[in-house]
Amino acid sequence: MNILTMLWNNLRGGSRTMLFPARPKVSKGYRGLVRFDPALCSGCAICKFRCTARAIDFKSGKGTFTWSYDPGQCTFCGRCVEGCKTHALSQEAECPPVYVTIGALKKAYTVARKPAPKPAPAAPPGPASPEANPATGGAQ
Amino acid sequence: MNLWNRLMCYCRRRSPWLFHMNAGSCNGCDIELIASLTPRYDAEQLGVRLEGSPRHADILCITGPVTHNSVQAIKTVYGQVCGPKAVVAIGSCPATTNVFIDSRTVDGPLNKHIPVDVFVPGCPPRPDAIILGVAKAAEILANRAALKLPVEPVAMPLVGPGCGDACACAAATAPATVASAPVPAAREAQP
Amino acid sequence: MNLTTALARFLIFPGLLFAVPVAWFFLWVERKAVALMQGRIGPPFMQPVYDFVKLLGKDTPPRSGVAGLLMRMWPLIAVSAAAGAVGLLPVLPSSGGFEGDLILLLALLELPSMCIIAAGFSSRSIFGEIGSAREAVLSVAYNVVFLLAIVSIAASQHTFRLEALAQLPASPLRWLGVLAILVCLPAKLHLNPFSLPNAEQEIYSGPMTEYAGPELAMWELSHGLEWVAATGLVATLAAPHVTFVWLAILLFVALSFAVVLLLSVVAAATARLAIDTTVRFYWQCSLIFAVLAVSSALFMRLLS
Repeated sequence: MNILTMLWNNLRGGSRTMLFPARPKVSKGYRGLVRFDPALCSGCAICKFRCTARAIDFKSGKGTFTWSYDPGQCTFCGRCVEGCKTHALSQEAECPPVYVTIGALKKAYTVARKPAPKPAPAAPPGPASPEANPATGGAQ
Repeated sequence: MNLWNRLMCYCRRRSPWLFHMNAGSCNGCDIELIASLTPRYDAEQLGVRLEGSPRHADILCITGPVTHNSVQAIKTVYGQVCGPKAVVAIGSCPATTNVFIDSRTVDGPLNKHIPVDVFVPGCPPRPDAIILGVAKAAEILANRAALKLPVEPVAMPLVGPGCGDACACAAATAPATVASAPVPAAREAQP
Repeated sequence: MNLTTALARFLIFPGLLFAVPVAWFFLWVERKAVALMQGRIGPPFMQPVYDFVKLLGKDTPPRSGVAGLLMRMWPLIAVSAAAGAVGLLPVLPSSGGFEGDLILLLALLELPSMCIIAAGFSSRSIFGEIGSAREAVLSVAYNVVFLLAIVSIAASQHTFRLEALAQLPASPLRWLGVLAILVCLPAKLHLNPFSLPNAEQEIYSGPMTEYAGPELAMWELSHGLEWVAATGLVATLAAPHVTFVWLAILLFVALSFAVVLLLSVVAAATARLAIDTTVRFYWQCSLIFAVLAVSSALFMRLLS
């Protein structure tokens, strides 16, 4: 008779359904569409290397590069976001939208390369280095 | 649009019957599709019914990158779905083959074989996204049928070869371009 | 019963004009009740109407040959048989009828399942054949109980006339018969736990696999009319006799509604049984019921 008590509780307790256009909120760490911040990107293309589905494409041009992303190809694994050293990539905590034409969600950004930072002047040899070298030499 | 057309449009939107087909999917999207029938999301509030036969359904929901073994089956089932129909590609796999790109056993995205109306991205998509996709497909189907646009020109056999039965819509529209889609002979020869 | 009364009962009340909206209502009630009991909201109120109209607008695959003609014919026969069965029900207090109309009612109630069996075979699909074979086995099993119940009710009250059965006060054997009919109804109406013939995803809709469009709409309609006829039969057998017309109609609808709710609870609470368990259940049921019915009929004969 367990099933009958379950049915009765369901009848009394009301339905747990969300009425159609309402959608449940996604949790905080939800991995949705990848967002790109051109200001932070250093042009290293590690994201293209790490992408499992070849959703990210990186093309170098003269003084610019183009970063393009196809959400239809994306598997939302987050490897690109993890690998980005400058935190230019992040994932939206939102469900990707439904689309009707193929390739409708593709995005491409052309970013001008930043001038390379000047190399820092060579550090003067400190007192610690001569002592450290024989130690490492001895250890080998 | 006269009264009958308006009535049909109204009813077609509110009664989308699905047939689900797995074209080599990992089953993640299939599970989420079944999850959309559970109490929390309840696709039945839109009148969605998961049907057992493609002849009963309006909307064909396909998951999975289309593997070689499933290409003929997909085309056959698409031909068996009757009347005004729509196709929903659930997940990233049917839209773009996702992580299986360049795989030897995968034969291209779904819209290489049959016309697709709605793409629901996600790996797997959430059940509420799938329901949204189905609702959009029902709307597209109803509008397309109401405007009597030339539609899905496929004539596919029934069960078994050479049966010759096909949907009546195929006779009225352009000859099949999809049925004659070039399939490399070398791949066909593989068991 | 003359021709005009017969046509009025078949077409208007309680026939098609009355029964088709009630059929759609009962189909909705069953889906909504099962949904509420499963903790979800169900389809909207007009859902069976939307389904029916949408199906009318779909294309059908071309059907060729005699098999094609038969395929088109079976749903129409099923709808007319079910509508005729509803029309024979003695809803109104003085509805007429004729001697032996109980037997005609039984025959008309059987026809839709015969049509389903024939339709599965004439569709020449293997899934249709499997589904029809299952429906045939199930039909034999539950019909023994069903017919025994009806015959024992009729024999105990010494009449085969529905109107007389509705008017006579109920005997204990009649309640036993009504109980037996209620046990058969889930199998007749393809509900859990005996929903085997249209086991979806298992045999791809069984006998209905090759049907599409308006033919499928007719099958859904015949299914709904079967609901009305079967629950109406229970309602007329169980209802006390009243003379006021509107009260009789109200009582009929209310009792049918109660039977629909009961069947929905059974459908929501159980899972589909396999064919051997189902058949064993019904044969055991019929054995017990047959012994009870025959012994009580003999007992009452001895008493009277």
